[in-house]
Amino acid sequence: MPPSSPIPFRNCRWLALAFALVVTARADFLEKVHDSLSLNDSQDRFHFQLSGLVDLETYFIDQPAPGLIFSSRNFLLNPRLRLFLDAQIGSNIYLFAQTRVDRGFDPSDDGAQIRLDEYFIRYSPAKNINIQIGQFATVVGNWVQRHDSWQNPFINAPLPYENLTGIWDTGAPDETDELLEWGHVGEYDTRDYSDKYLRLPILWGPSYSTGAAISGSCGRFDYAAEMKNAALASRPESWNITQTGFEDPTFSGRLGFRPNEMWNLGLSASGGPYLRSNAVPDLPPGRGIGDYRELVLAQDLSFAWHHLQLWAEFYEARFEVPRIGNADTFSYYFEAKYKITSQLFGALRWNQQLFGTVRDEDHRSKWGNDIWRIDAALGYRFTDYLQAKLQYSFSRQETLRNGENLIAAQVTLKF
Amino acid sequence: MRCGFSILSLIVGLTAGSLRAQVVIEGTVQLPKPSFDRGLNQRYATAPDIALAPTNPPAAVVYLEGDFRAQAASAQKSQAQVAQKNVAFAPDLLPILVGTAVEFPNMDETYHNVFSYSKIKRFDLGRYRKDEKPSVVVFDKPGAVTIHCEIHERMRGTILVLETPYFQKTDTAGRYRLEHLPPGNYVLKAWVAGDDVRQRPVELKTGMTLHVDFPAK
Repeated sequence: MPPSSPIPFRNCRWLALAFALVVTARADFLEKVHDSLSLNDSQDRFHFQLSGLVDLETYFIDQPAPGLIFSSRNFLLNPRLRLFLDAQIGSNIYLFAQTRVDRGFDPSDDGAQIRLDEYFIRYSPAKNINIQIGQFATVVGNWVQRHDSWQNPFINAPLPYENLTGIWDTGAPDETDELLEWGHVGEYDTRDYSDKYLRLPILWGPSYSTGAAISGSCGRFDYAAEMKNAALASRPESWNITQTGFEDPTFSGRLGFRPNEMWNLGLSASGGPYLRSNAVPDLPPGRGIGDYRELVLAQDLSFAWHHLQLWAEFYEARFEVPRIGNADTFSYYFEAKYKITSQLFGALRWNQQLFGTVRDEDHRSKWGNDIWRIDAALGYRFTDYLQAKLQYSFSRQETLRNGENLIAAQVTLKF
Repeated sequence: MRCGFSILSLIVGLTAGSLRAQVVIEGTVQLPKPSFDRGLNQRYATAPDIALAPTNPPAAVVYLEGDFRAQAASAQKSQAQVAQKNVAFAPDLLPILVGTAVEFPNMDETYHNVFSYSKIKRFDLGRYRKDEKPSVVVFDKPGAVTIHCEIHERMRGTILVLETPYFQKTDTAGRYRLEHLPPGNYVLKAWVAGDDVRQRPVELKTGMTLHVDFPAK
């Protein structure tokens, strides 16, 4: 474990100043800002709305940094600006775009960067049919709908969306020992975590890959299906159409059922290749990227009544690994949010990921470290436009003697 | 003799009452342009299969401001209602007397979550169904309370809590008519939206009908 680095107080002062500014920002002023960022024509043929989220986020981390946090330090400041454009043209066409300025798609030590993370056009030819094309979040599961910092009761994502496995997308293992090394399993854990960015989770965050989707609802049923250029596990660089084409597409779908307003149940499935083109030299002769897929089955449910909301997702994932065979893993979480007062809410989440075994010479070996994590968060909405959250997480991985702690704080200004 | 005096008192009282009833202010408030009728397009969710109410045309509330705390305190406060119907608040502008209880029935086949972070009344009703007993909120401080639905961003409403019993919501053309006003010197105000509050001092005399228009700021 690297030595603890001192907290950069210059950053803290900057953070405190920014926090003071947003706390004193009047809600009616921010409402005016929101209204002044809209544009519509006199005949109401179109309406453009520019809006945004400013996140000031800090992490106090035990090393190695958990999940999709890319930092070798114990303290990380991660500011982020998201700009959204929602455009309604007539009653049939809707456009959406999201641009981010931050230190990387996931929290990291990197310098500032600007990206167009999402853009799509949605055409609704009939009441229950929506067709959209562009780069957008996956239809799988139920976390995407609350993944932005304003809606998410926590600061990080559930375990299936960020816990890294030993699967790489830039190369294929020559033998089982290499896969176990990549997964840092037991005696294969070299304590060198510089390979972190090469590893893949079951789903990489909201998976803003590129493609086309059809969705709609019919009575108490919802349906959605998509064809995308990258698998659910693929890293953000793979989502862009300039990086990954449609030679080996991923197909995903979700069928939802709402027996009443309280319950929402869903079944999802996805299948598509997870390897990038630079893995091709590592593949057995005659094999291509399309021969090795990530297959996912998922079940989700949500419940809401008065001030209580519950969510759960269950993911059964299989990676088809060259020369080794199927590597299976199962991950799930239960999440609860309760509004204690009109402005204060608390949230709890239990996450777990379990790994199956792979063929290892004359026996079978577990290909990942089982892990559980508990997340607890408190959030406070000062106004319609300002929210603060504090989160504590404790995780325990089977090969690490001690558990890992994470404390995170986030202030979000919405405009 | 006593009987004759009582009849005389009654006649004087009725006459005074009828004269007071004749104090009227009427006019027009110039309203802002109607807002764009926002659909239900959500970034990550399929829109529910519900007919959407069109966005209500703008309206204003005209009220007489003065020291009416005694009348407001003694006035009969009936329960008011703001329904959630076709993914809109109905009505989306409700003037009430301070101390009035407002119930929020859900008339849709989907959840709503009405909340307000306005300083004078903060509340969050949570998610509740159509067939549940609606929540009731008592508005005990004067001011404008902005209400939203946490689930449907298109839903916005205002409850204007007033300390005067003399108020009226305009029609969609901005016309209003306040009747049965007490004589005296007051300020006539028109609440249009947010901080767009227009005002005029008025001197009311028994039997008069005053015409006051409120042009746009």
